[in-house]
Amino acid sequence: MADPGDIAIGIDLGTSYSCVSILENGQTTVIPNEWGERTHASVVSFLEDSTVLVGNSAKRNIITNADNTVYSAKRLIGRFYFSDEVKKAQAVMPYKIVEGENNSVRIQIRENIYSLPETSALVLKEMKSIVENYLGHEVKKAVITVPAYFNDNQRQATKDAGRIAGLDVLRILNEPTAAALAYGFGRDITQRIAVYDLGGGTFDISVLEIGKDVFEVLSTAGDTYLGGDDFDDRIMTWLAEGFLKQHGIDLRLNKYCLQMLKEASERAKIDVGRDGVAKINVEGICQDPDGKVMDLSARLTEAEFNKMVMDLVQRTFKVCDEALQSAKVTAQDLDAVILVGGPTRLPIIRNSVKHYFGKDVMAGIDPDEVVAMGAAIQASSLLDAKSDHYLLDVTPLTLRVGTVGGYTDKIIDKNTPIPIERSKSYTTNRDGQEKVKIRVYQGESNKATECEMLGEFEFSGFRIGYRGEVRIEVTFEIDTNGIVNVTAADVETGQKTSCTIRLSSGLTEDMIEDAKEKNARTRLARGEAAA
Amino acid sequence: MEEGFQIEAQALAQVLEELDYFQILKIRQNASPADIKAAYYRESRSYHPDRFSNLPAGEMKDTIGRIYKRVNEAYVCLRDDVKRTKYLADILGPERQKKLRFVEASEQELKKEKEQEVGTTANGRKFYMAGLADMAAQRFAAAERNFKMALTYEPNNPNFKAKRDEAGKLIKNDMSIR
Repeated sequence: MADPGDIAIGIDLGTSYSCVSILENGQTTVIPNEWGERTHASVVSFLEDSTVLVGNSAKRNIITNADNTVYSAKRLIGRFYFSDEVKKAQAVMPYKIVEGENNSVRIQIRENIYSLPETSALVLKEMKSIVENYLGHEVKKAVITVPAYFNDNQRQATKDAGRIAGLDVLRILNEPTAAALAYGFGRDITQRIAVYDLGGGTFDISVLEIGKDVFEVLSTAGDTYLGGDDFDDRIMTWLAEGFLKQHGIDLRLNKYCLQMLKEASERAKIDVGRDGVAKINVEGICQDPDGKVMDLSARLTEAEFNKMVMDLVQRTFKVCDEALQSAKVTAQDLDAVILVGGPTRLPIIRNSVKHYFGKDVMAGIDPDEVVAMGAAIQASSLLDAKSDHYLLDVTPLTLRVGTVGGYTDKIIDKNTPIPIERSKSYTTNRDGQEKVKIRVYQGESNKATECEMLGEFEFSGFRIGYRGEVRIEVTFEIDTNGIVNVTAADVETGQKTSCTIRLSSGLTEDMIEDAKEKNARTRLARGEAAA
Repeated sequence: MEEGFQIEAQALAQVLEELDYFQILKIRQNASPADIKAAYYRESRSYHPDRFSNLPAGEMKDTIGRIYKRVNEAYVCLRDDVKRTKYLADILGPERQKKLRFVEASEQELKKEKEQEVGTTANGRKFYMAGLADMAAQRFAAAERNFKMALTYEPNNPNFKAKRDEAGKLIKNDMSIR
């Protein structure tokens, strides 16, 4: 029996904003911070006095303390240093992105090096402390959400972030599934729904069947590099090109100007969505060669904005096509469409979604808070294991193993319900072979280079024999978190062999322990209420 | 956790390797898609690991995990008509024990199968393709000759044989109409 003070929290760790919620007396409550803010910028600003500022106050530092302020880190978590996504980020982020061991990504702040799970753990620490302030006691357990389309590396890294923040991570939960849970929880409905989740940095679509006590994900699809940030970038490019034409100065060449431009673009996007037009005015954005201070001013209409982002919106529907096809349903078969994520407030998104699915979107759901609420429901049900609902989720990507010549072979299909396992036999191909190496990938191509490598597993400790004589059965498991585990056993003796090396950009147990200590020592600075 | 359930789970785990997917979902071999889904939900209610989240790690937790993974595996196969048909044939056949767990042909095997279909030798392929063209143009006698030629290069190609027989039948039909 769980003690009454024992509580598990639900955390939506977003690209741009995070949100935290708990289940109290059967109701979800989004916990505000001391200034009443219910969502918190996922921004970490490292201050001179070695304290760390997280949230909306930290966001203001993106301009004033640009080198030492980390934002949109979720775009980098669980990625390899050589990936295109990391290169793209390096071009626009003012903080220093450097290479760590095993092709991992690290962030350099002054003379300190941080891994991505470490910086995300600081956001989680802030979420944890918001709840602790509210409840007046410590919390240790949490469910953390991730985009449904996150691969194993990204899930593992997010789980590591939770552990570094001193949390027992009960579950890594898919964001659209969490939203569906919050929508259907306690309502006793039988429906087929789609969750259209456009966040700050990622896009997910999931098709679910909700029954009395069951939430079954039929399919999920996504794009982990498509989100509100990309809409801001379009406005940014438009503003910068306009300024260049008018004054012959490229604002993008200076990281300080670039941040001012980015902030103005995000505000313009919100204004144009709400009011149909945005007046952009940034005083003192730069100086001309003679030292004269210059202002940026422009006017963005809804029609112009829609034209800029139309292809991004269309991209989301290609992904929707794929999800509907996998689920073997058509848009007409759906009873409801739920919108999740800040950018879904934009009229262009709402109208296009309405048009694509042929039905009005569900009203009365807060797109910024619904994911955290679903996470809180799941957290509570995992805590006492007495819940009367259960989630049947799927793996978003096909699991593969490397074969000869740079090809891969399917092991577990995408959209397979989890947990699941599949075994495959391998024989040794040299006399006296002591080790078997297996490369594991996720992706939809049979070419290894077009898939994401999860790791290289090296098994040893089996019998030594002639070539082809020793058979090793390798078991691939995807657990309820969507995380991949690989084990191997000698078929003849049943002897489990040990996996000695795991080459991926992940952290070792020792690194996590060190990071955990460092995280516990770090003091969170308190900012101030938004003006 | 109830004692009865524990005993049931242990008993099930012991015979798991002997059971086919229909037995795992406790349904008949002619169950409808709706029956399959209902059975999947019913077994999920019993064995979904979330129901046992605060069970300490150990043998019982592993047992339940093993059962539930097999429930998922059964559902993935049986909800798909193509896989289900093949699986049913597999478990009704002489190699039942070996085929209790459905394994799809790998992409390489599929490629090999495809090659087998249109021929593995250049000449076999050539005559086979010519035969197909004759079939499309309703020149069945010519088609039969081409398929027979193809078979001289690949005498064991089952697809060539099937096409030869098909063309032969059509010639007879053709003549009887006339």
